[in-house]
Amino acid sequence: MLEVENLRVAYGAATALWDVSLKVGKGELVCVVGPNGAGKTTLIGTLAGLNRASSGRMVLDGNDVTRLAPHRFCAAGIAIVPESRRLFTGMTVLENLELGSFLPAARERRRETLEQVCELFPAVRQKLAMPAGSLSGGQQQMVAIGRALMARPRLLLLDEPSLGLAPSIVMDMFDSIRRINAEGLTVLLVEQNVSMAMALATRAYVLEEGRIVMDGSAGDLIRRPEIRKAYLGLEEG
Amino acid sequence: MAIPSLNLLLQSILSGIFIGGMYAMTGLGLGLAWGLLRQINLAHFGFVFLSAYLCYQMSTVGGIDPLLTVFVLPPAFFCVGVAMQWVLSRFRISAFNSLLVTFGVTVMIESGIQYVWTADFRKMQSVYAEEKFVVGGLFVPLPEFLTLAVAVALSFAIWAAMRFTDLGKAMRAMAEDAPIAAAFGINERGLSLALSGICVALASVAGICFALTFTLTPTQIFSWVGVVFAVVMLGGLGSALGPLVSGIVIGVSEAVAMALFAPSWAPIVSFSLLILMLLFRPGKA
Ligand SMILES: Nc1ncnc2c1ncn2[C@@H]1O[C@H](COP(=O)(O)OP(=O)(O)O)[C@@H](O)[C@H]1O
Ligand SMILES: [Mg+2]
Repeated sequence: MLEVENLRVAYGAATALWDVSLKVGKGELVCVVGPNGAGKTTLIGTLAGLNRASSGRMVLDGNDVTRLAPHRFCAAGIAIVPESRRLFTGMTVLENLELGSFLPAARERRRETLEQVCELFPAVRQKLAMPAGSLSGGQQQMVAIGRALMARPRLLLLDEPSLGLAPSIVMDMFDSIRRINAEGLTVLLVEQNVSMAMALATRAYVLEEGRIVMDGSAGDLIRRPEIRKAYLGLEEG
Repeated sequence: MAIPSLNLLLQSILSGIFIGGMYAMTGLGLGLAWGLLRQINLAHFGFVFLSAYLCYQMSTVGGIDPLLTVFVLPPAFFCVGVAMQWVLSRFRISAFNSLLVTFGVTVMIESGIQYVWTADFRKMQSVYAEEKFVVGGLFVPLPEFLTLAVAVALSFAIWAAMRFTDLGKAMRAMAEDAPIAAAFGINERGLSLALSGICVALASVAGICFALTFTLTPTQIFSWVGVVFAVVMLGGLGSALGPLVSGIVIGVSEAVAMALFAPSWAPIVSFSLLILMLLFRPGKA
């Protein structure tokens, strides 16, 4: 469904992604893990049209989206849950969700999708009229995911949804992501919380200093000693 | 300090409300463009006056009803606003530089007006100009009343559009986080052009109100900058109803100060309010 080939992205003279290639199949939940500064946010941002690729290509369901204008990515079927959420904090929760379904195709099914989002996150239903900025971190993350779902995407991009959340909420958050994927939505998840992400994903990539250094099935990767050592702090044995 | 009669004081307050309507009408588009597009458009004042002179010209020389110019002037100025935003974004002009560039535009408009209409006073003779009615012993001049009514109607219409329509919400979202708004399909470029067009069209409406009410002279342009800036900043940048409230507050404060003290007190009042506001609400402006 998504094929990324030799994607290179730079901020001015500083290259953040070096010829990154990856694939996400229809219905899969794929995760990209890596340390701080590896380029995870840059990757997600480029896939959502927030950053421009300097070379390489991104193909979604056979359509090359690499050179699309930023506001065309959503119509191509991609929705983003950005790092640190980036809700429209001056607006209400409902307005944030409505903006997720700004484009005509999503707008037509707004009521129906809103109902689905509220079923997935019952806490959101109570908060619809509140300013988004007044919610707790966990609730804001739910709204950010809800806003992306309102676009009725075919590919959901999640950038560190567990960042800054209390451990008890993190479990719920990952469980919601699993349910979203189980209902058929393809998910690309970027995380520093390696053990949780690997438990959820079918396949995983490891990104370090802008390069993919490993990939494979999540179950396989999590057993490798170098991963256990670098990301889980576990020594072998 | 001379104590004015109650009737005189009430008449002053009423005229303050009316001048407040003019401030609000002039500040509406300025504040929206400033808050939502980060465009500090000093040319706004030039556009108000240019529109006022064109309204004067069409009505006095062309002989058409000045109110009918709303079908011509605001649409034409909408196009000017679109072109201006296109240039500002094409050359990536920052908010501060937009202030300098548009100041230059205002100076050019002023010179253009001097050249075409000279520095003479121009007063539009229209059926509305001298029309007044009396309510409860107070005089209500028709042009001022119309201006206030238009300012109230447009402020509320824009407030409602920003709050209840998808495009209005998209504009607020774009002002807060343009890249994320774009990721949800909002075409920032197109929307910015349209919004800039609307703001300059609002300047044109203010100009028509101006021509109905005031005697025109080109150098007057700059005397409106200070007080309208105060109105816009007091009302909140990007707010639709803010300038209406702050315009009336400042208008009434000035009128009362003039009635109680002397006419020269008017600017002191508006700028004291502005300075107090900047001191006590530093985050807002
Ligand atoms: N806006 C930016 N301007 C310049 N450099 C940036 C910017 N954003 C990220 N970078 C750099 O790109 C690299 C990758 O960053 P990022 O994608 O945020 O990593 P991650 O999300 O994995 O922590 C880092 O070296 C970072 O300093
Ligand atoms: Mg990141």
